[in-house]
Amino acid sequence: MRFVQEFRDAGLGRALAGEILALMQPGRTYKLMEVCGGHTHSIYRYGIDGLLPEEVELVHGPGCPVCVLPMGRVDDGIAIAHEPGVIFTCFGDMLRVPGSRGSLLEAKAQGADVRIVYSPLDALGIARANPDRQVVFFAIGFETTAPSTALTLKRAKAEGISNFSCICNHVTIVPPLRALLDSPDLRLDGFIGPGHVSSVVGARPFQFIPADYGRPLVISGFEPLDVLQSIHMLLAQLAGGRCEVENQYKRVVAWEGNQRALEVMAEVFELRPHFEWRGLGFISQSGLRLSSAYAELDAERRYAIPDVRVADPKACQCGEVLKGVIKPWECKVFGTACTPERPIGTCMVSPEGACAAYYSYGRYEREREVV
Amino acid sequence: MRVLEVDEPRELALCVDEQQRRQRVDTGLMDAVAPGEVLLVHAGTALAREPV
Repeated sequence: MRFVQEFRDAGLGRALAGEILALMQPGRTYKLMEVCGGHTHSIYRYGIDGLLPEEVELVHGPGCPVCVLPMGRVDDGIAIAHEPGVIFTCFGDMLRVPGSRGSLLEAKAQGADVRIVYSPLDALGIARANPDRQVVFFAIGFETTAPSTALTLKRAKAEGISNFSCICNHVTIVPPLRALLDSPDLRLDGFIGPGHVSSVVGARPFQFIPADYGRPLVISGFEPLDVLQSIHMLLAQLAGGRCEVENQYKRVVAWEGNQRALEVMAEVFELRPHFEWRGLGFISQSGLRLSSAYAELDAERRYAIPDVRVADPKACQCGEVLKGVIKPWECKVFGTACTPERPIGTCMVSPEGACAAYYSYGRYEREREVV
Repeated sequence: MRVLEVDEPRELALCVDEQQRRQRVDTGLMDAVAPGEVLLVHAGTALAREPV
């Protein structure tokens, strides 16, 4: 398929890696953060890090929606799933995310009616087909999935479907980036910007990064050559003394984003004053909830939920991984007590999680050898 | 995902992915789509066009 195979050409990849090498300034190291979990997945699936010079370090960012969900929100979902008569719907990768007293998968084993859906629209379809049951959708994700939830809620309201509601865990990407840039733990030289989020929000929201923090950002596609070209563009900016937002993923991302998606999100959601992120703590105006116009579809208002903050297990270092402070293999339980089959932390659950990516594509063995 | 069929009144499209899996996609956030077009789809909703 065009735009798939063309962007996976190994020869072109090696040529780009050579051009990246040529851009490097002697004696300098480069620390670049890939914001999106999709990029982390691509980097380790295709071995992109192995093509790069040692002086270019890729740091994993907070852009995996499952990974950043705190345990307390999982507990809230499980509490609703156990409500009598409820059909609880969620994406597949939510099932094994541990809460403080188990996962949704375990809740299902205990008798809760938990169902995997591909989209919120599918959850709405379940509500239409089961008018005598309450159907709750557990919404997670950044600005890529939030439009889908918003559109579904808009359709539910228009159709007057009263047995459908949503527990909203949607988050936005800019506040955690600002929190990372304000953190003294991490010194970054540039960002590989999130391609799919940018298809919705456009490039403009990222302009504060060069303007306020003096760091370049390149919005990137997800194929191997996309990522390599984006790294090349970042190093070209640094070599040329430039610092700006560039768009490598022009074939999909419009500078202004998707205006219809932004409009429907603005209608259905409003910003929470604070939202807790796993590893990053509470970040102001970083989470979305249903607006007052959609209050009747808000599961958090319909059901009593624990709404309790739960600390991560002491052994789990997902927080440091999400902040890019440590690599997955540096976590004490990586690959031993924490595996994709029996995860302790969220980063090992989702395919977009850095730990799962390392583990799945053999980085576990390689990095252990380095140690 | 490549568009196979369009249900314009309901703003839905039947699409197929790289692995030939068929899925129903909400096209409510897009200008009119046509069979043969390739869409960026997240959580069952089309967000952008990809070049064919």
